[in-house]
Amino acid sequence: MSEEPITAVILAAGEGRRLEPLTNRRPKPMIPVANRPLLEYVVEAVADAGLDHITLVVGYRHERIRNHFGDGGDWGVTIEYAEQSTQLGTGHAVLQAEPTIDGPFVVLNGDRVVDPVLVERVADAARQHTDPTMAITTSETPRDYGVVAFDGDRVTGIDEKPEGPVETNRINAGVYGFSPGIFDAIRSTHANGELALTETLDELAGENGGVNGIMYTGRWLDVSNLWDLLTVNAGMIDTEAVTHADRSDDASVHIADDVVLADSVRVGPTVTIGGNTAVGRNVTIEANAVVENSIIFPDAVIGAGAVVRDAVVASNAQIGPNVTIEGTPSTMVVGDTVHHGIELGGVVGDNTTIGPGATLTTGAVVGDDVDTDAGVTIDSRVAAGETVRRG
Amino acid sequence: MCGIIGYVQTSGEQVSATAAASDGGVTQSTGEIVHKGLRNLEYRGYDSVGVALVGESDGLTVAKQSGAVDGLVVPDVPDATHGIGHTRWSTHGPPTDENAHPHTDCVGDVAVVHNGIVENYKELKEELADHEFTSDTDTEVIPHLIEEELAGDGDVDLLDAVRNVEDRLEGSYAICAVREDDDRIIVARRGSPLVLGRGENAVFVGSDVTAFLEHTRDVTYLEDGDVASLSPDGVEIFASGEPVEREIDTVTWEADAAEKGGYEHYMRKEIHEQPEALRQTITGRLDVDAGNVDLDVSFPPGFLADVEEIRIVACGTSYYAGRYAAQLFEELSGVRATVEIASEYEFGAGRTPDRTLVVAVTQSGETADTLGAVRRANDAGARTFAVTNTLGSTVTREVDGTAFIRAGPEIGVAATKTFASQVATLAMLAVAVGRDRGALAAADARGVLEDLQGLPGAVQQVLDAEDQVKEAAKEYQDSEAFFFVGRALGVPVALEGALKLKEISYDHAEGFAAGELKHGPLALVTPETPVLAVLTDGARANETMNNVTEAQTRGAPALGCVSGDAEYDTLDVDFPVPDVGIVEPLVANVYLQLFAYHVANEKGRPIDKPRNLAKSVTVE
Repeated sequence: MSEEPITAVILAAGEGRRLEPLTNRRPKPMIPVANRPLLEYVVEAVADAGLDHITLVVGYRHERIRNHFGDGGDWGVTIEYAEQSTQLGTGHAVLQAEPTIDGPFVVLNGDRVVDPVLVERVADAARQHTDPTMAITTSETPRDYGVVAFDGDRVTGIDEKPEGPVETNRINAGVYGFSPGIFDAIRSTHANGELALTETLDELAGENGGVNGIMYTGRWLDVSNLWDLLTVNAGMIDTEAVTHADRSDDASVHIADDVVLADSVRVGPTVTIGGNTAVGRNVTIEANAVVENSIIFPDAVIGAGAVVRDAVVASNAQIGPNVTIEGTPSTMVVGDTVHHGIELGGVVGDNTTIGPGATLTTGAVVGDDVDTDAGVTIDSRVAAGETVRRG
Repeated sequence: MCGIIGYVQTSGEQVSATAAASDGGVTQSTGEIVHKGLRNLEYRGYDSVGVALVGESDGLTVAKQSGAVDGLVVPDVPDATHGIGHTRWSTHGPPTDENAHPHTDCVGDVAVVHNGIVENYKELKEELADHEFTSDTDTEVIPHLIEEELAGDGDVDLLDAVRNVEDRLEGSYAICAVREDDDRIIVARRGSPLVLGRGENAVFVGSDVTAFLEHTRDVTYLEDGDVASLSPDGVEIFASGEPVEREIDTVTWEADAAEKGGYEHYMRKEIHEQPEALRQTITGRLDVDAGNVDLDVSFPPGFLADVEEIRIVACGTSYYAGRYAAQLFEELSGVRATVEIASEYEFGAGRTPDRTLVVAVTQSGETADTLGAVRRANDAGARTFAVTNTLGSTVTREVDGTAFIRAGPEIGVAATKTFASQVATLAMLAVAVGRDRGALAAADARGVLEDLQGLPGAVQQVLDAEDQVKEAAKEYQDSEAFFFVGRALGVPVALEGALKLKEISYDHAEGFAAGELKHGPLALVTPETPVLAVLTDGARANETMNNVTEAQTRGAPALGCVSGDAEYDTLDVDFPVPDVGIVEPLVANVYLQLFAYHVANEKGRPIDKPRNLAKSVTVE
């Protein structure tokens, strides 16, 4: 392998509105799964691939990212930051990294988890070719992504979120290898308003050099919707080495093996924490509570006797005593799309207080800064900052 | 007040490397490592800088100048094996190229960097009449004294010379000396901090561990009177001429925690680190269900029950943390509590030494004024206790017990996260003392501990509202003056808010007890003087609001940090504070930090290095 240093540009400037309310106070890449932000897994994959210089393109709520990653020393890499103050598309985001680039580089998305081997392969391709390289993977729902026409060697076209039927399940994996020439190509792309990287690549695919394709079948985790978080969380708990810090020595407490507990979690007597659960720092789970298949962000409090299943509880939320969050497979609407058979008990936004004895069911999504009365039942969306009264 | 770094490449393994992040210190050139170490230390002073590098082909090479660390062009000495560096904050002589360290002897064979004061330098200088001095500093006598020692007897080497010279110096100092054709750095410590770093392939010396934390976390804190030799063979430490072993500690701070990590200023980074710093502060220390605190504090049985007075001694921001804590001690611990500015502290009449607890609050643990107060308290026979951020710091060795605030390194000269962690630590101490004395019921303690536990989340909510503060800062930045008011726990926060603003924006800012406004300061109030008020729980908000209204009547704009459930419709700006009881004023303080930051930033001030100020003040 050539020793030419390759910089990794990671795009982490976007907001991720589909994951509201969790993204009201943090960018999507900073949503924790298995107690670590999505972006940390991306940074790790880059570091494990032997790349030691990263440019993070940040924008929305960038302080959260800077606080967590600093100069990258904890991951054995050097991190620089490029700011994209208005989110004008992925092409525009890549342009923001230009001052930090002086040779071939790779581009990744900050919220899509891939294996280090893919980063290595794309980095090698970037060393060998001046033409762009694109990683391709497959999806069961290709129409949610950029569908790629691929002849086994070259990408011949990209159709972004096509409306009609598609002939292939090959999609753009969102990992690219570039030479600095890409910057001019992005600038000269004819686009209305936003500069999308895929539009530039679609144009280049029709030109002389074309676009190299790399087929990839390894881990490719994308969190498109809130309920994907629980699946990805479970997957990460399963594959990541788990250390159980601060396990309770109280015999009345039951904690399953596939649980990630941060240090400084306070667990009361006769608490049960079931599988596929991640509990963040400074969380309190009071007596008799049951938590299962859930993500509990830092500083949250789960009240005594509460039952929290298939749920995401964001930072500093206060789940009152005897609250029940429990789902049955349900139908959810996100934007214009209807999703059926969703297994999600509920989502509770940052700093929200759920009153004692309240019930959240069938995919209730409660915004941040919401305050609810005792005993209310919530089974739909509650906007941020609202007060839910009984009656 | 200065920063020292020294670096020696070593041939072999010094200690088993427990730190995976250690690069052993051999991947960069000696000059680069010394220069980087100085950048890490810049917060200790930044008006002059210099290095001395020693290599086989070029011997001893010195470069020094007045100005910031980045401005120094480090000489290219390709085979340099060791070097020392210094960043200075003037005490003797103005910042000039000549007064910058290192200082050398007449022929340029010996170079010395020094932190502290040589009190008898005038007499020593007279003795050295035939030597050529080039600076106004007290330090310069040291290399010339070493020169004398080396000239006297062929058998005297650099180690002997430093030892002999050390005997003649009066005052406080940390010294590093190098000599041409000698592969060692000789260091000595008396009164000023000095710590050794023991990497795999290098050894370091620094004024504090941030100097070399990216290379090794295995450190040895030198004690007063120690002389050490750092050579390619490792470290030898001597006390009273005899070789001694000193413990090797492992620093658990993350090396990069001391770096700016993409922020434009350390101060803003450190403001944003507060939720995490506070989580560190309380981790493992709260037993909410039992209403107890585990601070690992041990006093003799019965001591706390019999304590008649807790006296807090501190300076600057730590003093305001002490003001906050004194109210908590009275309320939660049922004990008389007073706060004294450390430089003003005397034990005072009418007190029983063995029933007085003196609590020193100092971020660095090296604050000279606070150390002086601790010594006076110790001399009087009082029991002493320290609340500090710095393991191994001088104060920890002079007191009977210590609670660490665990805020992590703070580089910005304006203290932010350490204030929050100091108050949180002192609140835990107040609960511990109250429980021990039987003055605080478990149920009441539980309420306080739940509030403390809610503190990180509450502070995060304030940080999430930064844009609102930034707008307010833009709107009011050009005001003539700023007045900060509060009552009860809001008073220390008002004082701290005013201190932050004046420190970094150079604006006229004053903090008052709100009730005092009408007793004088109201005469200063005009439509050009915004009033910032702490209107939260624990700060008697309604009464304070009456005083704010008095100011508004005179046309002053009013900005308030307001508890979530309260509403004061007449405020021009209101910043909501989440419900966390007696720590709400501490959360309100985060708004004031952000306000100060954004006013200063709009004005383009050098926020991390305000003029005339240094981070830890080690002179009295």
